[in-house]
Amino acid sequence: MSKEKIQTEVNGKMVTLEVEPDDLLVDVLREDLGLTGTKVGCRAGECGSCSIILNGKVVTSCLIPAMKADGGKIMTIEGLEKDGKLHPLQKAFVEKGAIQCGFCTPGMLLSAKNLLDQNPDPTLEEMKIAISGVLCRCTGYQKIIHAIHAASETIRKQGV
Amino acid sequence: MNQGMNLVWSKSLHWEKYYRPQSIPEALKLLEESGGHARIIAGGTDLIPQIRNKEKEPKVLVDITRLSGLNEIKLENGFIKMGALVTHSQVAESPLIRERALALSEGASRLGSPQIRNLGTVVGNVVSGQPGADTTIPLLALDARVKVVSQRGERIIPFTEFFIDTGITAVDSTREMVTEISFPPLLENETSISLRLARRKALALPILTVSVVLSANLKKKTFHYARIALGPVAPIPFRAKETENRLASAPIEDGVIKEAARKAAQESNPRTSLIRGSEEYRRAIVANLVERGIRKGIERLEGKHV
Repeated sequence: MSKEKIQTEVNGKMVTLEVEPDDLLVDVLREDLGLTGTKVGCRAGECGSCSIILNGKVVTSCLIPAMKADGGKIMTIEGLEKDGKLHPLQKAFVEKGAIQCGFCTPGMLLSAKNLLDQNPDPTLEEMKIAISGVLCRCTGYQKIIHAIHAASETIRKQGV
Repeated sequence: MNQGMNLVWSKSLHWEKYYRPQSIPEALKLLEESGGHARIIAGGTDLIPQIRNKEKEPKVLVDITRLSGLNEIKLENGFIKMGALVTHSQVAESPLIRERALALSEGASRLGSPQIRNLGTVVGNVVSGQPGADTTIPLLALDARVKVVSQRGERIIPFTEFFIDTGITAVDSTREMVTEISFPPLLENETSISLRLARRKALALPILTVSVVLSANLKKKTFHYARIALGPVAPIPFRAKETENRLASAPIEDGVIKEAARKAAQESNPRTSLIRGSEEYRRAIVANLVERGIRKGIERLEGKHV
């Protein structure tokens, strides 16, 4: 099968990739770019562990042909820290014990990031909806909600 | 012999070509040239899992997400029109849809998850032909119609004629493309509501979705008309016509509402399902949700925020 060239911005860097027509974005991120922070769970868009932010929106990368990312802008979990400093959400997840096994964490963090980017002062209900696309079998979600709330306060104070 | 676990990743779904046409005629040409082996992909939230499960095995995908002018929700010539690329998130957040077709906003905002709503399109949800689809049911109650184009021309199909069997619609997806769904916006004496029963609030298929469009004269305490859509209670999205007839021009009274709800349970045809419960249970919740939908609709007309 002939490969096609796509160009996409991943975590602030332009990359050119050669992909097969039936490659999925999640696999290109993990296998070609080595960004294994994006997890593979169900491959059906139901567990949310492959969540990334594509063109400003949180989406499940297991449902996206890689060709679709041509010309797009992607943030994976690897792009959340800046210059070696954790994002306030990442710090809050650590501090509030919102990480247990860690498998859902990238999807949770990017879902929360996407929420706070659009809505810096979310209600409890809005936070619950924002993470409803990612399954967590460890935490019971409470600590994740606490962490998002704490991070939203930090971000509003610091203007990060 | 134990070969050990195979930890090498391998591709588990396949197609040969992926096209990204720049215009509708180009997309239609690619479909025709593929001789029935092509499928359109927009959000892909239904199609990719279907390909993975080998329910569909297209050799060619035609990605329409680069076509211009199909991602708008607009009010034009007395109709609300949604292009083929309008996502569930867009519909859920649209002030126009909230004001003039709240039931659709409610349906779209409960579908799947934020991730799925950001990717998936309303047109895709409808074309998938599922009898309980979250945007299909409100659109059926809103009297929507579908614009279908192919190389042979254009046709408009009303929702009442669009669904043929579970997963099958009047559109030949290998040759035709739905470009738009439209419906008349609700007026001041009209309101709409969608209710959904599911095991959890996200990523759970609906046990039942009910959408009610109501028009009433509150001063005279009479219904003008009602349009009630349900699913899944039959192989295709279902309009409860007998229930609607019971309500048309009837007084707004407890007895009338209860009788209408009972009619909805009688005329719908759910079957016992491991996922959705027994036939008896499903009929009972049809009556329950239809009654609640009518009552909440009236409250909305009275200006109560419910």
